[in-house]
Amino acid sequence: MNHALLLLVGFISLVATVSVQASGNPARGQELSSGVCASCHGVDGNMVLDDTYPILAGQHRDYLVVALKAYRSGARDHAVMSSFAQNLSDQDIEDLAVWFSRQDGLGELTFD
Amino acid sequence: MLNRLLVALALSLGLALPAFAQSGDPERGRVISFTCSGCHGIPFYKNVYPSYSVPRIAGQSEGYIVAALKAYRSGARKHATMQAQANTLSDQDINDIAAYFVSLSEDSE
Repeated sequence: MNHALLLLVGFISLVATVSVQASGNPARGQELSSGVCASCHGVDGNMVLDDTYPILAGQHRDYLVVALKAYRSGARDHAVMSSFAQNLSDQDIEDLAVWFSRQDGLGELTFD
Repeated sequence: MLNRLLVALALSLGLALPAFAQSGDPERGRVISFTCSGCHGIPFYKNVYPSYSVPRIAGQSEGYIVAALKAYRSGARKHATMQAQANTLSDQDINDIAAYFVSLSEDSE
């Protein structure tokens, strides 16, 4: 009985942790992305307007969050990105990050 | 309307890109980027303090890799490990590595 209760508590806290970590809403991210982001990165993050711009599709969600927050704080500097990031709330950033991370695109390096 | 113009511009730039491609050697890039796989080759490997996933770079745009590595090398972009790595790279090394990474995109296979 106690074991079952423990399992239940463990399961609930696991679910809670996962939902906190992935708090972005991809549908809202897609909507936001079709605004300014899409002009340079494409709605799904697979297009680059200029070759010095990164592909975002398939990038890690948490890395995208760190990058956008760094642009917003000024820790990372880019004429275009620094100004756009100023307009983003934490929720906007989470939503955009989860949207781009779920598109097909970038991969891990592999060596044979 | 503006979006359509931008998309059209992007498409035409995309077609013109090979003409501007950097003179990187992807085969040499493959060899010298072996070190990179120590962090970028491990799925969901985490950067520490602060903790976040090391970015995926296979298939990344060539010019972005060049710009990022040069920014780390100059110190304009901060990251202790990446600055230390980029400090050892020549312009040619950077072009070669970028040529290799972009060659890993699904479209080019």
